[in-house]
Amino acid sequence: MITRRSTFLLLLVPALASTPALARAQASPASPSVIALRGGTIHTAVGPVITNGVVIIRDGKIAEVGSGVAIPAGARVIDLSGKEIIPGMVDNHSHIGAAPEDLNEQAVSFGPQHRMVDALNPDDRGWKPAADAGVTTVVTGTGSGEVSSGEAAVVKTYGADFQKRILKEVGGLKIAMGRKGPNRPPSTSPAVTAGLRAMFIHAREYMDSWNRWDAGGKQGPPPPRDLGMETVARVLRHEDYVRAHVHAASDIMALLKLKDEFGFDLALHHATEAYKVADEIARRHVDVVGMPLFVRIGMKEDIMRSPYTLWKAGVTYAFHTDDPVVQSKWFRYCGAMAIRYGLPEEEALKGLTINAAKIARVSDRVGSIERGKDADIVVLDGPWYETKTRVDYVYVDGALAYDRGREGK
Amino acid sequence: MITGRGLGVAGRGLLLSLAILLPNTTYGQDAPNGSRAPRAVAIRGATVLTMAGPALRNATVLIRNGKIAGVGTNLTIPSDASVVEASGKYVMPGLIDAMTYFGIDAQDLAEAADPITPELRIIDAYDPTGMGFVSGAGPLRASELLIGGVTAQYVGPGDATIVSGQGAVVKTAGPNLSSITVKEPAAMDMSVGSGPTKTFRAKNRTPNTHPAVMSLLRQSLIRAEEYDRAWQLYNSRPDSAKSRATPPKRDPGMDALVKVLHRQMPARIQANTVTDIRGAMHLAEEFNFLLIINGGAQAYQMKDELAAKKIPVVLGPISHPFISGDEIPDLKEYPAPDERNAGWLRQAGVPIAIASYSHGLGGLAQPVTGKWLLIDASLAAGYGLPDDEVLRAITLYPAQILGVADRLGSIETGKDADVIVLDGPPLSIKTWVESVYVGGELVYQRGAGNAVLAGEPKR
Repeated sequence: MITRRSTFLLLLVPALASTPALARAQASPASPSVIALRGGTIHTAVGPVITNGVVIIRDGKIAEVGSGVAIPAGARVIDLSGKEIIPGMVDNHSHIGAAPEDLNEQAVSFGPQHRMVDALNPDDRGWKPAADAGVTTVVTGTGSGEVSSGEAAVVKTYGADFQKRILKEVGGLKIAMGRKGPNRPPSTSPAVTAGLRAMFIHAREYMDSWNRWDAGGKQGPPPPRDLGMETVARVLRHEDYVRAHVHAASDIMALLKLKDEFGFDLALHHATEAYKVADEIARRHVDVVGMPLFVRIGMKEDIMRSPYTLWKAGVTYAFHTDDPVVQSKWFRYCGAMAIRYGLPEEEALKGLTINAAKIARVSDRVGSIERGKDADIVVLDGPWYETKTRVDYVYVDGALAYDRGREGK
Repeated sequence: MITGRGLGVAGRGLLLSLAILLPNTTYGQDAPNGSRAPRAVAIRGATVLTMAGPALRNATVLIRNGKIAGVGTNLTIPSDASVVEASGKYVMPGLIDAMTYFGIDAQDLAEAADPITPELRIIDAYDPTGMGFVSGAGPLRASELLIGGVTAQYVGPGDATIVSGQGAVVKTAGPNLSSITVKEPAAMDMSVGSGPTKTFRAKNRTPNTHPAVMSLLRQSLIRAEEYDRAWQLYNSRPDSAKSRATPPKRDPGMDALVKVLHRQMPARIQANTVTDIRGAMHLAEEFNFLLIINGGAQAYQMKDELAAKKIPVVLGPISHPFISGDEIPDLKEYPAPDERNAGWLRQAGVPIAIASYSHGLGGLAQPVTGKWLLIDASLAAGYGLPDDEVLRAITLYPAQILGVADRLGSIETGKDADVIVLDGPPLSIKTWVESVYVGGELVYQRGAGNAVLAGEPKR
């Protein structure tokens, strides 16, 4: 949704210049490597609720979770009686971590070769509010100013070593349906779709030229490499997927037909009118990362109800903030609003965690409280979906990333 | 504040009487049973949050002729009253959104040809038949706002100029424009924030800077003082002298500013930073006008000064305090928000309201965020504002700040019967507004399941 360029993130960076130093201090090896979170109500996002449960964290990973888990000797025990525990949340569509000027390469309409990771700033002021709110992983990406604006990155919002925070350097190819404006081609929706079709055709031809060269025993000079076409080729080989900015039902259908034609994996983002074509989406096993539902934008009741509608149709649904459209700190209330509009609580939590992780192809690492996964855990003082409930602690890779008491909030 | 445009109390009473006499054109005809609304309604058995005292368990609210006729736990229900069973539910006053631009075409929000336009009146652009309102024949209903339990709102000109004009307090349902107008003009809207500097920088005209904004505003108020003195001088002359003298030239804008100088109408000044809030407070002191701060994102840094002078703050949304017409506000124009602002201000004794500042947000979004007023305000409960104060910040306090507390803002005998029934505790995200009464008429009822509304056209 982001096309407007502004400079606010850059300007506020100096105010938070001390963040990295703080981060290093918190992740220091002084904390014992085994932590036991005891006594809370655990919502794992993949199984039944565990009351009076225990989570054992060892070396930044979840070593054990359950109700009758023995606490190892020497573990640092943290009593969480009366608290609610959910997985670190995964915001599947955000723009934090980069200067707004770096989000859209407006000079071109097609830039699949561009990578958000090349714009990420470890000191960006957007990370901390997200981490403090329990958003521990984001799919942060380029904007919607181009038909294809490039590859998103999947990144944790906290951690001393920025390279280690990156789960995927190249995590989903952004395309943006819909006209780009009266003075900027393509200025009609059919022209956008035609441009995408041409992009996929060129990528096939590109793949064919390489295949021919391979099949011919790699004789003679290889075909010239094209970074953009290599990116699209990875999508066509299912090594990557398409994350598509799309609002209108007509544009959704155009995309689904492109998928039918070229066979790529697809997640619809924003997907304002997806509820109108829920069955078409579901039968193609296309995922939806739906509109940010939390109060900044007034939306029709049908749109508010769309997480429920799409879940009923069998679609894997995840939430997003589109930060700065909705600030990361209100991410969990996007799920809460979906509950208000009929989505079961556990499905809403999945949309904030495991579903978002699956769509981002990082569910082997994050998105649930399960043995072997990264110890990204959020502790709250009440039901996660209530507005009055506050986040008390956030752990990322087993390190305490946020402690409300310590921050005096 | 009775004006040619608003019919005032007498006119409104007349219209309601007509509504009862003429069932085919009434407002009550849309009651779910299709019959005309009874003269008395008793909402029985609910927890009543009157806003004027402690919560009343298992209480009755009695409505008669559009007014609250009684509220209490031992109320005798008159035999002619239609009884609404509400046990297990919550009843509270209709919500009041103390600052919106809702019902105004975006193009009518800024007369940006001139930074100072006190003569403009937003009621002249107010269109309660478009946008989220039900259009077409019949009673006016801002359906999208009624879903959220909002029964009255302040609607003002935009913040794109220094003095943008006069706002109005209107209800979100009623038979016609006159009847929904509660107070007009209700305040003079001004901005010393980034709105005017942005607008006129883009036009390469003054004011480009905050000092220029302040000096232009000060100069206008001085002009209004001079204008006032000229008229006072003229009026003080004996009639014989008057006939020979030329009266001062009438200026409707100056007339309106004189009302501000005479404290007959407050000035609402949009000011978010400490600098702007301080500037607005200095002006109020210098010219002795009634000041209301709009926005007040950094007001907590001035809380003691604001409390001492009893200056109210109409806060922006707790979730997104960047009150801006832009789809994505440029945050460099706004101070870093702190969700504890509302709690700190109340604790210091500053009168506050929490408002939506609803704007049209472009093609994507309907121009409605007011329907989330309650949910947005409920966030403040997690950040130090006591639960009952959260509810007062969207009912009684805005009524007081807007000068309409004689009619709106609490469930007390004699006030307008603008009440909402909720299916659970008001601060839970799972709670829905079940029904809304405005002027004693049932104007909204939530349908079965998650369906839209009984009696509402599906759009």
